[in-house]
Amino acid sequence: MYHAIVDARDGTFYAAANHIVYGPTVQRSADGGTTWKRSKKIGLPERSALTVNAAWHIEPGLSQQPRTLYLGADPGVLFRSDDAGETWEPNRGILEHPTRNRWFPGAGGLCCDSIQLDPGNPQRMYVCIASAGTLRSDDGGQTWVPVNKNVAADYLPSPYPEIGQCVHKLLLHPARPERLWQQNHFGVYRSDNWGDSWERLDGNGLPTSFGFPIMIDPKDPDKAFVIPERSPEYHYSPNGRLAVYRTRDSGQTWEEMSDGLPRQAWAAVLREASASDADSLYFGTQSGSFFALADGDTWVEAARHLPPVLSVEVTQWSR
Amino acid sequence: MVQVVVPSFLAAQAEGRRRFDVEAETVGEALRALPVADLLFNERGEWSRYLNVFVDGTDARERGGPACPLAGARAVLVIAMLAGG
Repeated sequence: MYHAIVDARDGTFYAAANHIVYGPTVQRSADGGTTWKRSKKIGLPERSALTVNAAWHIEPGLSQQPRTLYLGADPGVLFRSDDAGETWEPNRGILEHPTRNRWFPGAGGLCCDSIQLDPGNPQRMYVCIASAGTLRSDDGGQTWVPVNKNVAADYLPSPYPEIGQCVHKLLLHPARPERLWQQNHFGVYRSDNWGDSWERLDGNGLPTSFGFPIMIDPKDPDKAFVIPERSPEYHYSPNGRLAVYRTRDSGQTWEEMSDGLPRQAWAAVLREASASDADSLYFGTQSGSFFALADGDTWVEAARHLPPVLSVEVTQWSR
Repeated sequence: MVQVVVPSFLAAQAEGRRRFDVEAETVGEALRALPVADLLFNERGEWSRYLNVFVDGTDARERGGPACPLAGARAVLVIAMLAGG
């Protein structure tokens, strides 16, 4: 299981499920997880010579498209469903993108790990592929342009290429959709112009530039939260100190938020294992602890001795 | 007529059924007739390398994989291989 969500539009659960023998699929549940139904085969056209290796990220469509969802998958592909997850069609603009021959897989594969929709413009959306970077569509997914200006890719001959970045997680601020945040393999970035250019934000208070999760405050576009890890080689808390880092000034400065977290912990928080809403932040560790922010500054270990926490979502819905 | 037996994981995806009687000339045909066929093949018609299929006790890979003939065969057994040390 790589990602699971509750669709705020109707309360349906969706999960990107991957089985080592039986492959990737999307499972959905309309009864709160009691029973699950598998999507029809998720596949790519034979002429592409590609096969779907893993289902990574599920994103509900906008409220005006109540039966539409998107699925990001390996090998760097985007699917769309217009029947509430029963069938999935590959996006040709991504599948046949002219830069595809310059994309290459990261350690987790050639994964499409983030999908963001612009609530103010139904034609605009973003996908992130590791390692292709961020691509934006302004025409409802027909065509896609790379938007990676000033984003580092230190493993390539040119450190700031047009394409080839490794985005770990991208979020769009719903109240200010020109503002995007990303935790990258090499740094934390913010864009205030729909991704046209990016400003690198780490160093000023962050212990490292590496990590996977990023969270935002839906009420305050200047706030963001990251959970740094030691390095690309060592995926755990730097210096044995598990902490969330918060910025309240659009990333100019960062402060540690560790009250209530263990004094010493070498923890890893996966890409999908954090979430935020207007009230709190939430994250789970690979070592099986789940934390929530209780009063704006103090963490509470709400559950422990869980299996590795793979996905954390917070959603309000009404039936 | 050959009987195909699937493991419990697949049975759970087929309303609990583990045994299916199918008319087929090859293993590929027999497996494609199952309600869980989409879990057995990728887009190119290949099996997962962790999927083993035995025809009356013989590994179907040794006899052509999906093209393995079923003439005279009685049972096709689908098994998920476990990998590890």
